[in-house]
Amino acid sequence: MLALSIFPLIFSLGLTFTNVNLFRRTPLRFVGLENWARIFSDEALLETLINTVIFVGGGVAIQYALGLALAVALNQGLREQRLMRVLFLLPMMVSPIAVGFIIGRMVFSEGFGPINDMLDALGLPAVAWVTSPGVAKWTIILVDTWQWTPLMMLLILVGLQGIPGEPIQAARVDGASEWQIFRHIVFPLLLPVSITAILIRALEAFKIIDIIRVVTGGGPGRATESVTAYVYNVGAKQGDLAYAASAAYVLLFVVIGVSFLALYVMRRVQARYE
Amino acid sequence: MKGRLITRAFLLAAAFVTFFPLYWILITSFKTQLDIVVNPTYLPWADFMPTLEGWKWLLTEARADVIRAITNSLIVSGGSAVIATMLGAAAGYGLTRFQYRWRFWRNEDIAFWFISQRMLPPVAIVLAFLLMFRWLSLLDTQVGLTIAYTGFAIPFTVWIMRDAFAQVPLELEESAGVDGASAAGIFFRISLPLALPGVVGSMLFAFVFAWNEYLFALMLTFQEATTVPLLLASRITSFGTHWDQLSALTLTNLIPAAILGIMLERFLIRNRTEGSLK
Repeated sequence: MLALSIFPLIFSLGLTFTNVNLFRRTPLRFVGLENWARIFSDEALLETLINTVIFVGGGVAIQYALGLALAVALNQGLREQRLMRVLFLLPMMVSPIAVGFIIGRMVFSEGFGPINDMLDALGLPAVAWVTSPGVAKWTIILVDTWQWTPLMMLLILVGLQGIPGEPIQAARVDGASEWQIFRHIVFPLLLPVSITAILIRALEAFKIIDIIRVVTGGGPGRATESVTAYVYNVGAKQGDLAYAASAAYVLLFVVIGVSFLALYVMRRVQARYE
Repeated sequence: MKGRLITRAFLLAAAFVTFFPLYWILITSFKTQLDIVVNPTYLPWADFMPTLEGWKWLLTEARADVIRAITNSLIVSGGSAVIATMLGAAAGYGLTRFQYRWRFWRNEDIAFWFISQRMLPPVAIVLAFLLMFRWLSLLDTQVGLTIAYTGFAIPFTVWIMRDAFAQVPLELEESAGVDGASAAGIFFRISLPLALPGVVGSMLFAFVFAWNEYLFALMLTFQEATTVPLLLASRITSFGTHWDQLSALTLTNLIPAAILGIMLERFLIRNRTEGSLK
């Protein structure tokens, strides 16, 4: 575990102080803080950072709300719930490459996709899913949501199993409505699991790249490029490994900052209920 | 009654949104290239003539590759899911039942350290893995990929198992202790069975994570230990995308994961613990 985590961390930190480039055969040189100085005037990095925060904030919030609703709905003893539990898990089992290509590219295609076709049949205007900068961001979030809501549902469903039945039954006897029971008993008890689910999903969402590369290629312009996609382009396409590592470290700092903040806020919310 | 109706309507809408893309993958696997890229077509026979070309490719030309990739995927994903969940359960149990102190580190900090392992973008660490694995002769081996995926999954399984154990009532463990059960006995006979939904959730998560991982598989394997995502990606070429083959392979790849989901679903739901408290 230590070897798997510490070595890559130190290795890429070391890279940031060098001029290592995949394509240019320049002798290895230590350049001090040159890469880090470049970071602060890099507008592309800033834009991709903002995009990433939108993807994470928007996507994870929607996925949590939907996952919570699905998990609660599938925990009420409906006849069809066992079948549905399995079926709702399926999207996260589909390979992200296939999700990107078949769903992102075909289903949302503006030329031959069924969604615009169906909108047309309903007399609604076509939507520029990938060519409009504003909409393209939502297309990415939608595809991401389709794939990853099942994970939220899974983790919350597991959390629901650990909730004791007595307080719920007692509240029901006292005449509490289902909504009150959910709001004041179930939801507070789900908070620890919710924190884990949101954190897990957010950490993965911060690294979003596959869907973007396939569906929009980061475009139009830079409207849907994430930091990870930017790091990939700088490192693998331009070969500038040293600068790519520096940009990756910026993302790491942002993620650590956001995680600390999120955990702090969620713990405060939790403390209010205790 | 009204609540049930709303619940059912919501589930129905969610089911449609979930299944339409899956249906689309299914029918795409039976379409010709022309039927795919000209206009959207929805119903076989009515809209387009189904063809078996994609599936024929899968079962003849690509058969050996498909079998090898699925075998590798199963071994690597299954192995890492089991190991990561076992280690995650051990760490998660420790973090909920004991208070650790190491200088200024507390349990919360240890848990955060675990999860922080997943914060660095994969593109930034894959190169380090490549060097490390070459040095250890783990490149292009199932063991190597299993180790990597286990390492990636552990931070998450620790958190999932920590929550699962936190929900197991302490009274149960204490009364078992009073009855003379050993610490190991309490863990294996009381806590672990009660945390079974967490174990299953964690296994499913770790399995799916490894099942679909692409970047590290691409960098760390090239022939013997290649997994299904690599095969999928090979259907997308600079000459165009083989949509039908891609779809057929996607469905084939979905089947083992879906079977696992069906097998494990019953353990996701725990029998209420009230009975055992009395």
